[in-house]
Amino acid sequence: MNATALFDAVDTATVPDWLTGTRKAALDRFMAAGLPDAHAEDWKHTSLQHLAQAELHPPPSTIGEAVCPDVTAYPGHVLLFQNGLLSCHGTYLSNQIAGTLHHLGDTRPVHDYLGHVADANALANLNLALWQDGARLYVPAGERLAMPIFAVYAASAPDAMLHPRTLAVLEREAEAVLVEHYLGQTHRPYWQNAVSEIVLGDGARLTHIMVMEEGPQSTHTRTTAVRMGRDSDYRALHVGLSGLLGRHDLAVMMDDPGGQVRIDAADLAAGRRHADLHLRVDHRAERGTSRITYRGLADGRGQAVFDGRVVVAHGANQTDARQDSKGLLLSRQAEIDVMPRLEIHADDVNCGHGASVGQLDHAALFYLRSRGIGEAEAQRLLIEGFMAGTLGLLDEVHLRAWLMPNLQAALARREAKEHGHG
Amino acid sequence: MLRIRNLHVAIDGKPILKGVDLDVGSGEVHAIMGPNGSGKSTLAQVLAGRGGYEVTEGSIVFRDHGNLFLLPPEERARAGLFLAFQYPVEVPGVANVQFLRAALNAQRRARGEPDMDAFDFLEFVKAKLALLEMDTGFLYRSLNEGFSGGEKKRNEIMQMAVLEPTLAILDETDSGLDIDALKVVAHGVNALRSPDRSIILVTHYQRLLDYIVPDRVHVLADGRIVRSGDRELALELEDKGYGWLGEPEPEGRPQP
Repeated sequence: MNATALFDAVDTATVPDWLTGTRKAALDRFMAAGLPDAHAEDWKHTSLQHLAQAELHPPPSTIGEAVCPDVTAYPGHVLLFQNGLLSCHGTYLSNQIAGTLHHLGDTRPVHDYLGHVADANALANLNLALWQDGARLYVPAGERLAMPIFAVYAASAPDAMLHPRTLAVLEREAEAVLVEHYLGQTHRPYWQNAVSEIVLGDGARLTHIMVMEEGPQSTHTRTTAVRMGRDSDYRALHVGLSGLLGRHDLAVMMDDPGGQVRIDAADLAAGRRHADLHLRVDHRAERGTSRITYRGLADGRGQAVFDGRVVVAHGANQTDARQDSKGLLLSRQAEIDVMPRLEIHADDVNCGHGASVGQLDHAALFYLRSRGIGEAEAQRLLIEGFMAGTLGLLDEVHLRAWLMPNLQAALARREAKEHGHG
Repeated sequence: MLRIRNLHVAIDGKPILKGVDLDVGSGEVHAIMGPNGSGKSTLAQVLAGRGGYEVTEGSIVFRDHGNLFLLPPEERARAGLFLAFQYPVEVPGVANVQFLRAALNAQRRARGEPDMDAFDFLEFVKAKLALLEMDTGFLYRSLNEGFSGGEKKRNEIMQMAVLEPTLAILDETDSGLDIDALKVVAHGVNALRSPDRSIILVTHYQRLLDYIVPDRVHVLADGRIVRSGDRELALELEDKGYGWLGEPEPEGRPQP
């Protein structure tokens, strides 16, 4: 990654005009801070040093041969971005409600929120400087979008550095389902550095599903920042299926009372994959609830890292916060680090966490086999059972049938890989 | 159906079974009784193929499948062997219905039959639930998770009803059951008796045998079958306990 290329990229990213100053300032901040290094507490399990040496470049600014996959595979509205640029637009919603950041017109929420919600970490700064496009969702007060919006970020350009950006603003009492699907279409290295900013008005409800299905040599980093209004409801599902390295920083800020947060996460780290999920939930007002459920699976030489930090500020009384995190180790060389953290500065709270890392239950394996189920299928059933606790949200938004084939395919690849290595 | 000869089994080098001989014919119901620690459950587990047991001597031949030791557990099940577990395992996240269908279809595939689809399977399994007086809610709960002791045992017999084995080994299926549940389970087992299905009841108490009447009763003590007889033997055990078994055969010594 060379500095000249980054500065050139900022100069060519001209849209919108009013952001040019912001972009340059963000790049300056990134250049000053550099990529996160292992000395930072938050990065001691995950290294991005390979990116510093990699010859990555911004993708071409026009779409070459757009690979438009079958958008009918997505049961809802679709905005598909190929190598950073919109290539398929499959929605009848008005441009004001669902569109792209590139064609934002004078949409007020973009002015108000873009770049203001995500914590100004180095990676978010780099995205703010270099993003080309991404999905924009705006749901006016009291409106409920019946079908999910799929923002698909496909990467097929080898050695590309992509900075997809998503902004979702739900006004008071609005409701929507947003699915972000990151999809690798090349076996060569590339880097997707995504940022998603979410703003929920009072009483709004967002179901937010994030699926990382990146290419085998890819690096995926992302920052998700959520700002919640009074009595709003944020329900998220993180599913990390593939990619050489995945790192997700998800931060939820509850400045107003009565917010409800549910974050479910399933990470699959097979082969040499490294999957790192850092959550931070800030309870800064009364009567907030948060429920975090994590299931990490590591096989081969894979490593899964989970850091779940819940901070209950002074005065955030009647906070109800629970964390349940479990790891499943499928090989001797695999590693799982599960770190739930609770920081409580209020008196009247109900908080707890449980964490464990184990192996496949041999008694359960024998039980299934004793009924005629073959060893590989029995393992698959147990693994799916292990992950099942995080997938309930799919039923509530009727997306199980959409996601399960991808999840099962990833599990089948894991199996083939581990058996292939003998 | 099943022929066990001179079976010796050890765990961590410690002998548990010390020369068991047993023949079970088609359609027969045999009870294996014995005090705790006599090796009853070891025999059941070895038949089903659980790891961790060293078979040091002897043979088990099941139907025309030759030596059972050569088959992994799933192939024994596909050959028609079924073990109702003393302690059914809880499997979180795997729905009972998903498990049952996976098991049935694995066995059907092994027989060269097509998979049963979800709809047909549901119809099929509902009849089996009724036999055990279980409601359909059981199908959608995680396998055995949070089930009461009695529910687990019913679920075992329900699996037997679904898989229709040719040899079923019921390991302490009566333990932990109250009398009403015992009757339901026994009714289920009796309904599954047939001329081409053999059953081995492993039990500590003769109570179960009031409801499932065996053709033969064997007493296992210290790793050997020390006495075999008909149903009367079970009643005698009920009367005298297991203590007298260490003594030689009654016929072999003068009556006091």
